[in-house]
Amino acid sequence: MAMRKSVPEEGLQLEPSASIAPPQLAAEFTAAPKRPLLTTPKKMLPSGMSEAEAIDRAKQGDGGCFESLYGLHKRRVYSLCLRMTGNTAEAEDLTQEAFLQLYRKIATFRGESAFSTWLHRLAVNVVLMHLRKKGLPEVSLQETLEPTEEDGPKKDIGAHDQVLAGSIDRVNLERAIESLPPGYRIIFVLHDIEGYEHNEIAEMMGCSIGNSKSQLHKARMKLRDLLKVTRVERATARR
Amino acid sequence: MVRQGHAIAAATVAVHTSGSENQMNCAEFQRDLPLIIDSGGTGQQEEHLRTCEVCRGLVNDLRYIADQAKLLVPMYEPSPKVWDGIEEKLKIEGLLKPAQARRI
Repeated sequence: MAMRKSVPEEGLQLEPSASIAPPQLAAEFTAAPKRPLLTTPKKMLPSGMSEAEAIDRAKQGDGGCFESLYGLHKRRVYSLCLRMTGNTAEAEDLTQEAFLQLYRKIATFRGESAFSTWLHRLAVNVVLMHLRKKGLPEVSLQETLEPTEEDGPKKDIGAHDQVLAGSIDRVNLERAIESLPPGYRIIFVLHDIEGYEHNEIAEMMGCSIGNSKSQLHKARMKLRDLLKVTRVERATARR
Repeated sequence: MVRQGHAIAAATVAVHTSGSENQMNCAEFQRDLPLIIDSGGTGQQEEHLRTCEVCRGLVNDLRYIADQAKLLVPMYEPSPKVWDGIEEKLKIEGLLKPAQARRI
């Protein structure tokens, strides 16, 4: 059996000690189960009315029931808008626009999917439409899966620091996501936070499934770099 | 050809030191990683992952980030002015009668 030589070429950047994941996650290379979308069938409103009943009444123009639906779903829609745009004012405007569209379109909701799934998709479309109007590139349609020099693994800043392995807290992760370039951030939010599949993302964004996978990978790689910088900064601050 | 060489040079180029000629190296593995990380790879890719600490560390990091992201909940609360704006616009459009609106 022929043995390969270890060839230390340029770009040898990743070292096992630089891993930010806890060691117990090291073994598996299988897909993690996707978190299901929020599809609880029988949600109850504070008034004791079921969500389905509130939807029926809102379809008939009951503003109170519509407000109840707003109360039930506002956090999820706003959080989506905020994470996709990284901007509070834009997120509020887009949340408003999403619920206005909901009110205008709610009569077309047939219950073929969960209401929250339907509303969520509507909100995603509102955000994407907004970003297109702003001219922000969501995904480069020319992009291929072939890595470029820029996309290659970067030097591991925390390569010698093993102490912080496995520690990503929510605040740092949220900050890192916020600092991603818009194209990466959108794909990451849709796939890894919101649970959309690549085929759904590709359809919504008008790109190929390969582009979606490529952008997601780059987003995760970028986050890895950002989180390692954070880890080094925290370690330095403690000294 | 030039582009391919460039791509491989850009990827991590640690070459695994044991195994057969058919065993893939890190550059080849990482080139395919965007396509396989969430769906699982071929036997050859999984074999590389089992035997290469470098790539295993990378995959673990990326999977760890994805797993942590799944735990992020919709925790942000819009300001009350968002609903006020919705209500006002619906009233202007004649879709929401003032008497119907009520705070929950």
